[in-house]
Amino acid sequence: MADNLTAPSFNNSYDIAIIGAGPAGMSAAITATKAGARVVVLDDKPRSGGQIYRNVDASPLANSAVLGEDYLKGKQITAAFKRSAAEHICGVNVWHVGNNGEVLFSLEGETQRLTARQIIVATGAMERPFPIPGWHLPGVMSAGSAQVMLKSDGLVSDGAVFAGTGPLLYLIVAQYLRLGVKVKALVDTTPKTNYVRSMSEIAGALSASAMLIKGLGLMNEIRKSGTQVYRFADNLQVMGSDTAAGVSFCVSGNSHEIVSDHVFLHQGVIPNLNMTRALGVQHHWCEQQLCWKPTTNSWGQSSQSFVSVAGDSSGIVGADSAAAMGRICALGQLVSLGLMSEQQAVTEAAEDQRFMARQQRFRRFIDCLYRPIDQHRKPTDENTVVCRCEERTVKDLKQGFAQGGRDPNQLKSQTRCGMGPCQGRMCGHTVSELLADWRNEPVADVGYYRLRTPMRLVTLQELSRFTDVAPAVTPSIIHSTKSSSSGKGSSLEEKPQ
Amino acid sequence: MFRSLNDKQSQRSLVNLTINGMLVTAPQGQTVWAAMALAGETTTRLSPVTFKARSAYCAMGVCFECMVEINGMPNQQACLFEVKEGMAVRSQKITEQTSLLTSSEITPSDAISMLAENVGGHHG
Ligand SMILES: Cc1cc2nc3c(=O)[nH]c(=O)nc-3n(C[C@H](O)[C@H](O)[C@H](O)COP(=O)(O)OP(=O)(O)OC[C@H]3O[C@@H](n4cnc5c(N)ncnc54)[C@H](O)[C@@H]3O)c2cc1C
Ligand code: FES
Repeated sequence: MADNLTAPSFNNSYDIAIIGAGPAGMSAAITATKAGARVVVLDDKPRSGGQIYRNVDASPLANSAVLGEDYLKGKQITAAFKRSAAEHICGVNVWHVGNNGEVLFSLEGETQRLTARQIIVATGAMERPFPIPGWHLPGVMSAGSAQVMLKSDGLVSDGAVFAGTGPLLYLIVAQYLRLGVKVKALVDTTPKTNYVRSMSEIAGALSASAMLIKGLGLMNEIRKSGTQVYRFADNLQVMGSDTAAGVSFCVSGNSHEIVSDHVFLHQGVIPNLNMTRALGVQHHWCEQQLCWKPTTNSWGQSSQSFVSVAGDSSGIVGADSAAAMGRICALGQLVSLGLMSEQQAVTEAAEDQRFMARQQRFRRFIDCLYRPIDQHRKPTDENTVVCRCEERTVKDLKQGFAQGGRDPNQLKSQTRCGMGPCQGRMCGHTVSELLADWRNEPVADVGYYRLRTPMRLVTLQELSRFTDVAPAVTPSIIHSTKSSSSGKGSSLEEKPQ
Repeated sequence: MFRSLNDKQSQRSLVNLTINGMLVTAPQGQTVWAAMALAGETTTRLSPVTFKARSAYCAMGVCFECMVEINGMPNQQACLFEVKEGMAVRSQKITEQTSLLTSSEITPSDAISMLAENVGGHHG
């Protein structure tokens, strides 16, 4: 059933609908179907795998081993997923999930509908925005995009500069080098202070020493290749007026410039929030990972009991923990559905829970070591673009703030920041953090944008068909807050209704 | 500029499409953005305020910088679509409609009533 590339013949109703076919979603589906649940998995990619195992079964590369053994490992899980009884609807954007378990998605410009008693959100992560001068110029892309283009289409860019911090950045540079692609320079913005601070977490990291060794191996590989590496860089800027011309930065107070028309930026990943936000589940600010996360219990269940969140969309956990969480969420929902006893679920979840606890110690170390510096998250330069869609700069936001835009929703109505097609994905975290600084209050008190359906772009034609098809959108979502943007009152995190 | 490692391209069948009027051949399954990048046509849209050229940023459906016109339909994310035989891709110049439909200022019910006003003749 899985990886159905032609028009799918899906049923109308399921026990569990899983959004996202990465390690989290696939594992959840395998566990749930084994226990007899009727499961559908929806994903916007043409094939299963998610970010890490993208195209693992259909690599455009002659030797996909250059992508590393962590990548090839994905074949086992995609194979188990395909063998499972789960239905996989691929190439579809899920743009609405209702309180009644209704799931609406676009398939080749047509809106389709199904319902499920339980929902598992496994929509993964996105790269953290990198709001520095010039980051909006053509020629600047995220480093993850370089990897996406490599995995999906076998495309590479010679002579590019990679800048920022985090394991994914070094992985992508190493993957390029293994393919013989020239990298002009790696500008590493991990500050010295992070190395010192992370030492207090090193014991946790040693308990996952295989991963630590892998990480150090990547850096060695890059250094040995002769690629120019600048460490402890700050004040990163993209040069150029209409397109990228390179980067400038400082190391110990000395300025450097590197010319290149391709700049790839990366400073870690954050949960892909738009679905859990639109579902109205409770979120909280995580200071360790500097991101918003949906609040869940140990079964991954959110504040809306029929919604569980697994994998990187619940907070950054990495691929192996994402898979473990997917299984745990599925077990929890099997209990809710009456398909498994609680006792059996507890027994079956035990090993994954122990594994995740170990991984969390390693994660603390990684989060500490690769914590992106303030300067690159909270821009101070007035002309730096914060909202790419509506071209709102730090200056525009400051003005909006002075005029009463004290929380993200008020600021949005003052300035249009966050109102464009990306629905705040590229500016939301920056805005929360900037406002917290300006108000001199914790980010948790500042909050985030209120988001609603549709979570993705839908065409007029689709919406018009959708009005014919179903009364679909649930009242709680329709009625909430035309007034939200008129910005009265509380800036506190919204509680689930 | 991006280049293709070309490894398995010969194994995939090819499709013909146009990008800003230019005839391009691309392997089946390639994303529209990859085809644009290889053709050197990297401007996807113009920014809404200063009308400056923009290009794909995330290549994974998040940033919406890669919105182009595909077969006359605006606001299509080039990084999510795959090439098809006969497809016509153009850099897009408009942005307004998109912000209308996805803006969180506008609820689906608003959008639907707006639709009812604007395209009422087509349905309902
Ligand atoms: C660009 C990028 C590259 C990465 N590369 C690596 C790597 O090489 N190695 C590594 O260890 N980690 C990598 N990561 C980290 C990665 O997030 C995790 O390792 C792992 O993939 C998380 O698994 P997951 O199942 O939680 O989510 P994912 O694997 O991200 O899967 C989520 C899936 O949900 C889909 N989706 C999201 N929203 C919708 C929607 N509305 N409708 C339909 N489908 C939707 C996504 O397209 C995706 O296929 C990468 C992250 C990013 C952002
Ligand atoms: S490049 Fe970001 S959405 Fe396509």
